[in-house]
Amino acid sequence: MLSQIRGLTKITVRRFWGKYGAGYLFVLPTVVLYLIFMVYPFCYTFYLSFTDWNGASPIKNFVGLANYARFFRDRLVWISLQHNLIWMTAGTVVPITLGLFLAMLLWGRPKGFLTFRTVYFLPQVLGAGILGVMWRLIYQPRRGVLFQIGQVLGIEAFRYSPIAYAHTALPAVMVAAIWASTGFFFVIMLAGLQNVDMDLMDAAQVDGADAWQRFRNVVIPQLSHVITLVTALALIGGIKEFGLIWAVTQGGPGNATEMIATHAYTEFSRHSDVGYASALTMLIAAIAFVFTMIFILVREREMEV
Amino acid sequence: MITIEQKMRKIESTTAAMARRQATASRRYRLLREVLNIIKYAILLVFAFIFIMPFVWSVFWALKTDLEIGRNPFSLPVPPRWENIPKVWIQGRYSQYLPNTLIYGFAITTGVCFFSCLAGYGLAKIAFPGRRLIFNFLLIGLMVPFFSLMIPLYTMMRDFGILGTRWALIIPGIGLGVPFGTFLMRSFFLSLPNELADAARIDGCNEWGVFAQVMLPLAGPGLTTLAVFEFMWTWNMFIEPLLFIQRDELRPVGLAIFFFQSRYTVDRGMVAAGILLTAAPIVIMYLLLQRKFIEGVTAGALK
Repeated sequence: MLSQIRGLTKITVRRFWGKYGAGYLFVLPTVVLYLIFMVYPFCYTFYLSFTDWNGASPIKNFVGLANYARFFRDRLVWISLQHNLIWMTAGTVVPITLGLFLAMLLWGRPKGFLTFRTVYFLPQVLGAGILGVMWRLIYQPRRGVLFQIGQVLGIEAFRYSPIAYAHTALPAVMVAAIWASTGFFFVIMLAGLQNVDMDLMDAAQVDGADAWQRFRNVVIPQLSHVITLVTALALIGGIKEFGLIWAVTQGGPGNATEMIATHAYTEFSRHSDVGYASALTMLIAAIAFVFTMIFILVREREMEV
Repeated sequence: MITIEQKMRKIESTTAAMARRQATASRRYRLLREVLNIIKYAILLVFAFIFIMPFVWSVFWALKTDLEIGRNPFSLPVPPRWENIPKVWIQGRYSQYLPNTLIYGFAITTGVCFFSCLAGYGLAKIAFPGRRLIFNFLLIGLMVPFFSLMIPLYTMMRDFGILGTRWALIIPGIGLGVPFGTFLMRSFFLSLPNELADAARIDGCNEWGVFAQVMLPLAGPGLTTLAVFEFMWTWNMFIEPLLFIQRDELRPVGLAIFFFQSRYTVDRGMVAAGILLTAAPIVIMYLLLQRKFIEGVTAGALK
């Protein structure tokens, strides 16, 4: 009886393997990599956020929610969150608006379309390090590009390097970020505009809608999917922001450009406070997760309409 | 009584007036369109100027001495000072950084393309129980921020004994790139027709044969998009080498430029030449393969 069952399962397994085995084999290496380099590290970070580990000692004490409770006492968390919020707001509204505006101007591929697209997208191929160095040259104290422009135009404020002063540092890095990211939103908007129904545009024109009404009531509703997508992307990118900030100001001067990510990185690399840094990175992941969920919900509702 | 002739004349004159009125209207309309067109191009040019000037300055400055930059930062580099370039190459150690970057670029791109191709194909073209689940599981990985992985990755590399070597960048680089690559390749394979694969299966080809001999040769466009994106990504890596590579001689250009700049703060010509050597290869690649870059970045938005 037992051997019969065993024989049967053996046959079933063999048949199952013969039919589907190839599929699993194709996917297996990727799943293994994924488990090792993403799932395990993520779970381990989650675990570490409940300990007081310093990164080197063999002892990890379980401290419960102490690291998370520390958020409320850590002034820098609130300052960073504020900066992230400003960054996310300006980094969403400005480049998306600009990108849409430029895409509208180039809609229908007028003369010079390819050249303009090439140039607008160009900053996108640069990484954070090189962008940072480039903009440091522009913002250099006393002799930078901005200083020289100020000399020519007679603008007194440009005599001071904006990244050297607490009240101008964040806007200055944001200008660099907007300069670098507008091309991306522009290209996405351009792709979105290609799907706008031209018959509807013509119908609106025949009905006497002016350019603004056509934009407001025909183009925008048809772009709503794309706009939701890029808004979500900009928000998620904004909460994770690290590279450009680190390359230009490293969170300074003082804490004027501190972000959650730079704060977490400093806690990890300078203070070896692994437990607390883990909790901070979990905060980033949680906020990014919330934005993703909101995005999926909004998208589903849009699909229904 | 009005004669027919008079009537005709009257009709003629009214139509003529209408035509005349129409002509002025359309002329006015055309003029308006012309003006709008000029304004449009003026705006487009201003933005093109804003986006391109930092590149132009970098090139100009790279070919000037610091003194010349101080005198007039916007002037053309006449005569061009080519000596900055070999100085960056030798003293600035770009003779190490650039080969490093190429090694990282090729290793990570090859690895990611290899695994993503297999998994993307498996998920798109082979039916097996749980493939939907596996795909969704991998999809979650696209939204996990690197920051919430970095500490365990760091200790893992240390425990493997490869922290501070090239492997510490290559191995996690492949691991972190694969979910996005799989996503991209899956959607590419989905766009290929099933009939070809089915025909090969009927002819007695096994799954590996179908993949290697029928589908893979068709995957070229998808693979190049992924390869271009992955290569650009490794070229620009910043935080990963900041964490995993402490030795300067192993750094890729995307990070090296950051430390390079702090070594040459007083010589803007050198810093600009460093920017030029870091950016030129990827910018040239972009100009040659523009469509692939745009495709990759648009799809990579999800990464």
